[in-house]
Amino acid sequence: MATRSIVILVIIAAIALAVPPFLPRSVVDLLVFSCIYSIAGLGVGLLLGQCGIANLGQSVFYALGAYATAYMTVTLGVGAAWGFLTGVILSGLIALVIGWPVLRLTGHFLALATLALGIVANALFYEWDWLTHGSLGFGGIPKLNIFGLVIDTPLRFYYLAGAVLALCLLASANLIGSRTGLMLRAMRDAPEAAKSLGVNAQWLRTRIFILSAIFGSIAGSLFAHYGSFVNVQSFGIEKAIAFLIIPVLGGATSLPGVVIGALFTTLVPEMLTRFGDLHQVLFGLTLMATVVLMPSGLMGGLASLSRYMTARGRA
Amino acid sequence: MLLGLVSQSLLSGVTNGLIYALVGFGIAAIFRGAHIANVMQGEFSVVGAVVVDVLLVQIGMPYWAAAIIGCLSGAALGALIDVVFIRRLVAQKAPDDSYLLFTIGVSITISAAVLFLFGREGHLLPPIGSGQIFIVLDAVVQEHALWLIGISVILMFALRYFYRRTTLGMRMSAAAIDPDGAATIGIDVRAMRTLTFVLGGVLGAIAGILITPIIPVSYMVGLPLTLKGFSAAILGGLTNPLGAVAGGLVIGILEALVVMQMSSAYKDVVTFSGLILIMIFMPRGLLGRAGRAGG
Repeated sequence: MATRSIVILVIIAAIALAVPPFLPRSVVDLLVFSCIYSIAGLGVGLLLGQCGIANLGQSVFYALGAYATAYMTVTLGVGAAWGFLTGVILSGLIALVIGWPVLRLTGHFLALATLALGIVANALFYEWDWLTHGSLGFGGIPKLNIFGLVIDTPLRFYYLAGAVLALCLLASANLIGSRTGLMLRAMRDAPEAAKSLGVNAQWLRTRIFILSAIFGSIAGSLFAHYGSFVNVQSFGIEKAIAFLIIPVLGGATSLPGVVIGALFTTLVPEMLTRFGDLHQVLFGLTLMATVVLMPSGLMGGLASLSRYMTARGRA
Repeated sequence: MLLGLVSQSLLSGVTNGLIYALVGFGIAAIFRGAHIANVMQGEFSVVGAVVVDVLLVQIGMPYWAAAIIGCLSGAALGALIDVVFIRRLVAQKAPDDSYLLFTIGVSITISAAVLFLFGREGHLLPPIGSGQIFIVLDAVVQEHALWLIGISVILMFALRYFYRRTTLGMRMSAAAIDPDGAATIGIDVRAMRTLTFVLGGVLGAIAGILITPIIPVSYMVGLPLTLKGFSAAILGGLTNPLGAVAGGLVIGILEALVVMQMSSAYKDVVTFSGLILIMIFMPRGLLGRAGRAGG
């Protein structure tokens, strides 16, 4: 089984590396967004799948990353690394300060609290236009330049964002496989038992919240460099909902599911645009149908399909 | 003059607060009867208001007939969603987050369908009554606002009576609290859930019809209504209508005071920060009677 999944992983990685150069520019562009959204969705997925927390505030950290990059590179004119670093540090600190009290809440209260954070932050980003330039936004964010290689085409950016995504996935897989991951699942499935065995639930949840915020911030910084323009409209509640849809659609407990969820939310609306004004309706219906037909997410759906095929093959 | 300013802003706070409570009623009813966090509640209101607008303004039906058909359309939508989709999810023992995602899907679909069929611009319904204006404590009061306040209060007591005193109301609560136990004593659990969605749909449509003379209905209003309604319901402990009114009034009046004292730009900042603080420091809701910990 383990060798089989390694083989599958290698095949997928080979496809992800080899095919994009032959795809049209517009598709590569969507793949870049899939990678960026996967990174932000991965953070939400870790919280949901490992801690059972529905986070509707990821847009806050996505915005922080994007604004940190915009402010550092455009207003202060320093290197791109400073943007990423400021975003990550700021997001981590804010996640710590806000997460510590808020993560004591549970269930729907917690989901609502994260949503409220998203709304508050969006209103502040809008009002503090001396810092964020409000709805006019920041333009002219420079292209990334890695050791002299300028990342100025969608294809180059795709490889960069894909590599960052792979690193984030690897880090998450490590986390889930570690002792911390075991504690997380114990806390999610049997909170009382975990507590009695000395698991510090609140600190653990806060740590995952910080990690999730850092992923969100990195995704935001990448977004800023890719589009070279950010304004407050990119960081609304719709974005926070999209970041939650991604892991839930893919299957919250599965890491590859996040990537599949992100592909779905970027590619499906694009495929539906040829239906004109109806495409939003169709996207909503597709979303509803997917949830009803595959309640454990797209990954769960694929797994039961493969079980079904094997069972039929044997019979 | 100052008295007028204060009473005017308090009055608008109370009116807005009851609007949030009206949306919160449906959210509380569906949470009570089905344990589902219903993100599509605002869309029920949008559908109800749009149906009434089409019948009243474009076809020219009398107000009462249009309002009744509007409520029926909410009921039909609720029943449809339960029978076609929710039943399947329940049969598959779907996890909690699939319901959340499903209702998000419904709300995206309905809002996009309204945009497609009804266009971008907002529509206002005519107010209930003759549109008279009263002066109370130097503040201008529209007749419609009085109707809205009166109907909300009546609905609150009616729902309270329904859940506490009528057999049907108690059956609906029992079916949600302990489905197996309820089935054992002969309650049709599936039918109770369908009725819960019908009730949620009707409450949503009533809310939509009452709100639309004040806030124009368009494809965009569903989600904001849901968010404010959710805040009202959760502050009140998520299952009781009295709580939704208390929660709605707290949010509405807080907003009005912020608009009066600071600027309207910081309305959402203060309201939603206050919401987070109340949830942290009063985890069982304002009335201390949450349905269960964490909702």
